[in-house]
Amino acid sequence: MRDITKVRNIGISAHIDSGKTTLTERILFYTQRIHAIHEVRGKDGVGAKMDSMELERERGITICSAATYCDWKDHAINIIDTPGHVDFTIEVERALRVLDGAVLILCSVGGVQSQSITVNRQMTRYRVPRVAFINKCDRTGANPDRVIKQLRDKLALNAVPIQVPMGLEGDMQGLIDLVRMKAIYFDGENGDKIREEEIPTQYKEECDIKREEMLDAVSMFSDELMEAVLEGTPTEEMIMAAIRTGTLSMEFTPVMMGTAYKNKGVQLLLDAVVSYLPCPPDVDNFALDLDHDEAEVKVSNNSSDPLLALAFKLEDGRYGQLTYVRTYQGTLKKGDSIVNVRTGKKAKVGRLVRMHSDDMEEIDEAGSGDIVALFGIDCASGDTFTSGSDYNFSMTSMHVPAPVISLSITPVDNKAQDNMSKALNRFTKEDPTFKTFVDPETMETIISGMGELHLDVYVERMKREYKAEVTVGAPQVAYRETITQKAEFNYTHKKQTGGSGQFGRVAGFIEPMEEGEYEFVDKIVGGSVPREYIPSCDKGFQKCLDKGALVGAHVTGVRCTITDGASHAVDSSDIAFQLAAIGGFKEAYGKAKPMIMEPIMKVAAEGPSEFQGSIMGSLNQRRGIIIGTNEEDAYTVIEAEVPLSEMFGYSTDLRSLTQGKAEFTMEFAAYRQVPKSVAEELIAKALKNKKQ
Amino acid sequence: MLKKDLIEKNPIRHLKGESDAKESSRMGLVMAQAGAGKTALLVQIALDTLLNDKQVVHVSVGQSLDKTKLWYDDMFKDIAEGCKLENAGEIHDAIMRNRMIITFNESKFSLAKLEERLHDLMQQNVIKPSCMVVDGFDFVKTERTVLEGLREMAKAMDLQIWFSAVCSDGADSQGATGVPAPCKGMEDLFNTVVLLQPVPQSDCLELKIIKGSAAVSKCGKLLKLDPQTLMIREDCK
Repeated sequence: MRDITKVRNIGISAHIDSGKTTLTERILFYTQRIHAIHEVRGKDGVGAKMDSMELERERGITICSAATYCDWKDHAINIIDTPGHVDFTIEVERALRVLDGAVLILCSVGGVQSQSITVNRQMTRYRVPRVAFINKCDRTGANPDRVIKQLRDKLALNAVPIQVPMGLEGDMQGLIDLVRMKAIYFDGENGDKIREEEIPTQYKEECDIKREEMLDAVSMFSDELMEAVLEGTPTEEMIMAAIRTGTLSMEFTPVMMGTAYKNKGVQLLLDAVVSYLPCPPDVDNFALDLDHDEAEVKVSNNSSDPLLALAFKLEDGRYGQLTYVRTYQGTLKKGDSIVNVRTGKKAKVGRLVRMHSDDMEEIDEAGSGDIVALFGIDCASGDTFTSGSDYNFSMTSMHVPAPVISLSITPVDNKAQDNMSKALNRFTKEDPTFKTFVDPETMETIISGMGELHLDVYVERMKREYKAEVTVGAPQVAYRETITQKAEFNYTHKKQTGGSGQFGRVAGFIEPMEEGEYEFVDKIVGGSVPREYIPSCDKGFQKCLDKGALVGAHVTGVRCTITDGASHAVDSSDIAFQLAAIGGFKEAYGKAKPMIMEPIMKVAAEGPSEFQGSIMGSLNQRRGIIIGTNEEDAYTVIEAEVPLSEMFGYSTDLRSLTQGKAEFTMEFAAYRQVPKSVAEELIAKALKNKKQ
Repeated sequence: MLKKDLIEKNPIRHLKGESDAKESSRMGLVMAQAGAGKTALLVQIALDTLLNDKQVVHVSVGQSLDKTKLWYDDMFKDIAEGCKLENAGEIHDAIMRNRMIITFNESKFSLAKLEERLHDLMQQNVIKPSCMVVDGFDFVKTERTVLEGLREMAKAMDLQIWFSAVCSDGADSQGATGVPAPCKGMEDLFNTVVLLQPVPQSDCLELKIIKGSAAVSKCGKLLKLDPQTLMIREDCK
């Protein structure tokens, strides 16, 4: 079995158009996984290897995090292609979970853009050590020094270059490695022949200064190196060890540069991945002990321990469902039986493969810390597999953020109807934040998710992959209702005229609760409501939660307590008590001062400083609370909290306001009360809809 | 406790003088060694203004937006919990609408830029502050004329401004009036100058009023800064 310290699970993350896919393509070429190079928007129509979905190829963006495997200098590297859009929150988060380290790609012209800031923030949150690669040094206007400064200022990374480019833009010759103090050239048609030479004299002085700076920064992480530097005898090994220590502690970010398109610097980047990024045991991963209230337990990374593996991605292949898993401890063997912790179901490992985007390679076993794919296992994305049912651990919390936006979709014909349900079935399995249901009143199919783009992509995928043409309704914000004070009820449901009668009386109160959605408390004493009808009351209350009385939104944060009631020997029944509970809830709900809540998004808009005033004005108009602004060079980042309902079409507005020079990202922040005037509007609208 | 009581009980009100924007309390300065609680004091001054339903601009030089926001959230939480404030969540949401943070990189800060930003904000009707706190302003590298300019701007915009400054080390740095470097010789520009310094044989920090009106000086003797929470209080032992 492979030595676990020689495994690297890395992600490549970047702003759109920084050349992520091209770089991945080159990596696969140099590691001999592919034998020809295609471009992302290639004329040959083949496209880069990692973008396996047609849609991504067309738009030139990467949506799904396909995993691919390659070897470099005796090390195994699993590359997880992470999506760059914040809208695909769960997708990004899952990808970040399974990787141990990351390469942050930046365009040498564009520098740190808003997307990089968001991705960087997420990486810091998940404690992913990273190395930076400044790509596109061949472009006109390339300025790696400016990008390094931005890395320090905007991303607060201790970014220090460990290379110096020999020439920029059109006449980039190669790179100088500051660790070994050698000039490196990339010869041959595909830059695959590496030539090492002495540093040309014109770069000598610059390199000495930059090396000094690098040694200063990196000697903070090694006393041995610090002493050696003072004595003037630092060795290559010492410097590399110190860079590794600094990188792993996330207090140091080595910066490399090059141009993937012109085949320069990629091999050195691979060397850095192997030398500086962590192997699985270097990273502390935690499993949740389901027997002990999801307490965190560190995984052992030991291949002989019981199995713990996370399914982080599903794909619908030609031969059925393909499940990407990352093992955290234990060994996954062909023929073994494994247990899905969420469902408790046993499954047998039939085929085990190592993925190379669309191609695959059969293997017999995968040790701890590896990333492989399984065939024919029925599961959802985010499920944990263990070796036995007594080993009750999960790699992910069962908590999934609730969707904030929804829209209705209608298939255009019968064929589309079939395909649509197939597609929806698949998507909901892949992505827990994507939900679908049929509205019982309008009989429309509703899909809901984490943002406009999130839903757009699924609608597109439906059309392309499943040939399901649908018409899409206007997006709807997922409002919620909650109550703000305690209110009592005492309701009798009675229908005793003709036929079998119905009788049930329930009394009690409803009250707001801080955390959680709903709770049912039974405080009946003396059996005024017979035992068997208590669950009926619970059921009745729960039915009321789906549609609140104000605007028909989901009701959350309510505790229902029943304290008294009455029953009839003949006429009481399950349904009678359900109806009594519904009546009681409705009676109390109006008295409990219900209010409407709406999702608030954290918006970060970035643009040239001269547009700051108008960007702020536009956010202000959209009921946004501006938290603050941050000025950097000629750019300003404005952070604000804006209700999602006001954000529709903002990208168009922002572009026209700023001559297309500003962009923004948004993330779900919290649910907050809707201001009174807006609430009245919503209620009036809901009333109108009801009447129709 | 209700919001009204909190405003009245808040010891910080003494420091700020009678009204937010009177000429006699136009500019204030908080000085201390690094890490002694300058930002905490400024945030409390800002929070008092916010609690009075007035607007505040917080200018932070060299600190990130998130960090500054966290200061407010933490300080507000401490205050709200300390006096068992009713409807704390609602009050928090309401007053934070009146706060705006502007952050600058150390090298990018300039008076002209700040003035432009403030004008922008007012023109767009985003905010009309009555108090501005400036944290991390580098007095060592600042010319006197810049501060004079700021004072004029404050007057034109009807603002009260509070600054923080890090004291330079060494006893000889104190000028005749007791204002330490780097602000030595600028004291005439400030109406109130507060020095935060440790009290001997105690954990507390004392607010030494170097310059200020009689009322401010009187209350200064009573105010202390709790080193754990960095909250101002009247009864610290």
